[in-house]
Amino acid sequence: MASRQMTNDHLRLSWHDTQMMATLSPQTVMDYFCRKSNPFYDHMCNNETVRMQRLGPEHLHNMIGLEYILLHVAEPILYVIRKQHRHNPSEATPIADYYIIGGTVYKAPDLANVINSRILNTVVNLQSAFEEASSYARYHPNKGYTWDFSSNKVFSDRSKSDKKDANSAKDENSGTLFQKQRVDMLLAELLRKFPPPIPPMLQNLQQPPPAGDDLNTARNASEMNNATGPLDIKTEGVDMKPPPEKKSK
Amino acid sequence: MLPNANDKTERYAKLSFLGEGQFATVYKARDTVTNQIVAVKKIKKGSREDARDGINRTALREIKILQELQHENIIGLVDVFGQLSNVSLVFDFMDTDLEVIIKDNKIILTQANIKAYAIMTLKGLEYLHLNWILHRDLKPNNLLVNSDGILKIGDFGLAKSFGSPNRIYTHHVVTRWYRSPELLFGARQYGTGVDMWAVGCILAELMLRVPFMPGDSDLDQLTRIFSTLGTPTEAEWPHLSKLHDYLQFRNFPGTPLDNIFTAAGNDLIHLMQRLFAMNPLRRVSCREALSMPYFANKPAPTVGPKLPMPSAILAAKEGANPQTGDTKPALKRKLVETTVRGNGLAQKKRLQF
Repeated sequence: MASRQMTNDHLRLSWHDTQMMATLSPQTVMDYFCRKSNPFYDHMCNNETVRMQRLGPEHLHNMIGLEYILLHVAEPILYVIRKQHRHNPSEATPIADYYIIGGTVYKAPDLANVINSRILNTVVNLQSAFEEASSYARYHPNKGYTWDFSSNKVFSDRSKSDKKDANSAKDENSGTLFQKQRVDMLLAELLRKFPPPIPPMLQNLQQPPPAGDDLNTARNASEMNNATGPLDIKTEGVDMKPPPEKKSK
Repeated sequence: MLPNANDKTERYAKLSFLGEGQFATVYKARDTVTNQIVAVKKIKKGSREDARDGINRTALREIKILQELQHENIIGLVDVFGQLSNVSLVFDFMDTDLEVIIKDNKIILTQANIKAYAIMTLKGLEYLHLNWILHRDLKPNNLLVNSDGILKIGDFGLAKSFGSPNRIYTHHVVTRWYRSPELLFGARQYGTGVDMWAVGCILAELMLRVPFMPGDSDLDQLTRIFSTLGTPTEAEWPHLSKLHDYLQFRNFPGTPLDNIFTAAGNDLIHLMQRLFAMNPLRRVSCREALSMPYFANKPAPTVGPKLPMPSAILAAKEGANPQTGDTKPALKRKLVETTVRGNGLAQKKRLQF
């Protein structure tokens, strides 16, 4: 995990040495790359051992372990350096490539990083496309989901215009007779299942009058009862068929 | 068994001449009893002044110390024989030494190779120090390597028992390039730190393939040490100014070791810093050094047989005569230089294959 993180960090890095940049050539590029300040250079490699022991680079082929080689030259701009693990004089496994463009060293991403980056780019672009598309979607109980591409304004402007449209087109958006009946029926069903609590004032009126009460109070109560009248709640019969579904035109 | 096998002079059949030093001549020989290849070191007759008992003091010191030691990384004293004042020491035969390996530009010393040599040196030295012996002449030339890649510490001509708190020692020990600052400042009392400093210099030489601090004189040696590692302060090294030959040096900041040993990891740099501690009391011991992360971390040390050998040795091995074990062409050690000690006494000549 840590090595993966370090690799990704290296992909965001670049390095150059202003003092030596001007003198770069195929003969000096390895010395340039093998400077201590270069974060891409592992000083525990065979190159550094050979340099420290004042031996020639021809000894590298006889060593086992980490080494850097000059892979490609396109003078005077581009140099490619390969980091590899040598197993024997004829066999080495590539680990990473570094390219030097105009004296600045960059790490070349490996295939996994390239694919990862491309997939990530694709996902980000797809996501932004979906977000953009969803901003044009409209829902109406009557019509369902629709696309509205009439205005190409910013999302915030569009939301403001939507509010204005809602106020201006009240008549258009008012429900049909069928919708009204259906809603009334559903509300009635809910009222039947969950009757509203009776207010305390009405509760007192429905109770039988106490023994000590006079006729006036009883009369007042009956008058009040007549005034309010019994609640007329329409209920859907058990055998009553539901209204026919609205057919799409 | 040969009829004259008991006669020691004839027991060891000379195969070839290996080299000559100030105090001895070395031959490659075959033990006719065991059929083992050995190195016979024939001590030259010293003057009566040099050795009042007729035997060279260096030889006596080697015999006294080596006959009590037995370790994989210490040269083995197989036998001692002589007639009158002619003394010959019989050692394990060693194909080469670290100086030859370092100077062979066809050899690449990898981090794993360097670690292997460092481990073997420290193990041998740890054994010496545990037995209260200071080698006092550690240098690549005295670290011998055989064909199995085993390193053995050799040349105990300057070795000495230590541990007596009041004993005064000579400071004219260790080849100058590997000499610690306390010896250069004329310390008369010192300990295992003198050998540890030399190990640091050898380790540095293995990495750089050239002597780390090759001073021309004691003064130049101190200047090189301080310019490389920084001038010590009294706070860093208490009682420094009280040393016998102390001299005030300008304050050098020193160079970070990772700028010198560019291919070394942080673990090796840390070991080097501990080996090159100016204050001998702060210098790392063998046991501490061997338990440092450098020796546990990757890469693992190269196994003995896979360690590099000089091309001349390999070529000679291929052309070896199976009857005599002799190699064609015979490897001869050449006299390279004679360095003169500070007190005017000639040091042993350094030998090179």
